[in-house]
Amino acid sequence: MLTEGVSLIDSRSDRVVMEPNPTYWNPARRPTVRIVYDNVIGKDEGIKSVAAGDGRVDVVFDLTPAEAKSFPDSAHGKIQTKKAKTILTGVFNENRPASPWRNPEARRALNLAIDQAFVLEHGAHGYGTVIPAFIQPGRYGADPDMKPMPHDPEGAKRTLDGLGLGGRELVFVASPAWKGVVDAIDQCLAKVGMGCHFVSAKDEPPAEFDVKLEWYFDWTPQYPVACVHREFFGRDATLRQGPEDPKFDALYEKLLHTPETETEGVVREVERYLQDEAKALFLYSPFTLFAVSDRVEFTPYDTCMSELAETRIKG
Amino acid sequence: MDAQATGDPGGGQPWGPHNTVTVVDPSPVNWLSITWNTMEEANRVDHDGIGQPSLAESWRWLDGEILELKMRDAVYQDGEPFNAAMFKLGFDKVQEWTNPHPPGAFLNFARDVTCEAVDDRTIRMRFPSGDSAALMKLRGMHLPSTRFWNEWGFVDPKTGSAEGHW
Repeated sequence: MLTEGVSLIDSRSDRVVMEPNPTYWNPARRPTVRIVYDNVIGKDEGIKSVAAGDGRVDVVFDLTPAEAKSFPDSAHGKIQTKKAKTILTGVFNENRPASPWRNPEARRALNLAIDQAFVLEHGAHGYGTVIPAFIQPGRYGADPDMKPMPHDPEGAKRTLDGLGLGGRELVFVASPAWKGVVDAIDQCLAKVGMGCHFVSAKDEPPAEFDVKLEWYFDWTPQYPVACVHREFFGRDATLRQGPEDPKFDALYEKLLHTPETETEGVVREVERYLQDEAKALFLYSPFTLFAVSDRVEFTPYDTCMSELAETRIKG
Repeated sequence: MDAQATGDPGGGQPWGPHNTVTVVDPSPVNWLSITWNTMEEANRVDHDGIGQPSLAESWRWLDGEILELKMRDAVYQDGEPFNAAMFKLGFDKVQEWTNPHPPGAFLNFARDVTCEAVDDRTIRMRFPSGDSAALMKLRGMHLPSTRFWNEWGFVDPKTGSAEGHW
């Protein structure tokens, strides 16, 4: 139960304190520890504190791949990873005048130019899973027959040259956390006679950008299309960088009016549509990364939420 | 939500580093994590990402339009019993607003959706056009106690509105 502090969309207090509710009905989720969210110390100091074992911080959320990789050998803490329901994907800018990315052939060719496994390994230290579209293999809605797009630099170059895109240096907008990913994409593009440069998403993106990398997560109880796919391509999408897509909207409507027991087939249909139309630059599903003190038994959630009911102090 | 929003019984065991876990969570949706740590809904998503019953212990579709939920026998931190009427209260409160959920209107129940507490433990929701997203939407419909609604609620004191503030 919350006993001190606030965390609102636009503000948060210096700390938020939650006490365990000893009468909670579910013994398996009955908390045993007081949780303090420290909103002052900051991520860098928090990571150092976990590594040093100075007792100020026990868990730091949302580490970047670079932060996880550089976590020092420590007798007091470690990096914990979680295969969460996340995606890192490139949104094509179809809004700019005469955008080449309105052409599915161009979008597909750029996908073929990218070696997803290379990007994951060299851009994110391997912290993730290559995925065919937006859903990880084995998850609800994943099509077992769908594979990630192949890496075919020769075919990609033929198409991109044919479309007049050969030799271009593309503009990729991304959070600084994903600069390594953009650098790895640049190496892939060099093999098809192209390149890309990084523009921080913290700055106002230039109108002429080509691709924006977006990280997103699925918190739903097995309803990923509403939470994730819709957010990128739906009529009310906030991440869409192009015109409305009536075919996607029709699939979403179909999903909403399909009996709940039969929805997985429609989710697979949506996934296939995304890949068939190369709706995005498909990259990988990032692990969520935590710095965790050895004195704590931390249970991360696939939803990326910092739910802490099961988190315990060891011993 | 302020410090007393979900009730603090006070007293209890002495606290110190031995039973305190300190976390740093820079996520922009930290507010949602804290809501889900301190409130409860009909259903939830477990650490493996799978939907699970929570304050509703079970549910079934009676036909293409009617979802029946059986509520759990539980008690709020402030001692108030939870029952189907509290679910109905939560539904009525969220339906007062046009777009209450920060993530967007996709979490809204249609205006023609109805909710009836059949008895202390049974809720029937009617979705006239069907809605396979119903359980996803219920995951975002918080079910706090009467004290929360009467003393705090989700209305932003600065704007007097709960739009986008649920």
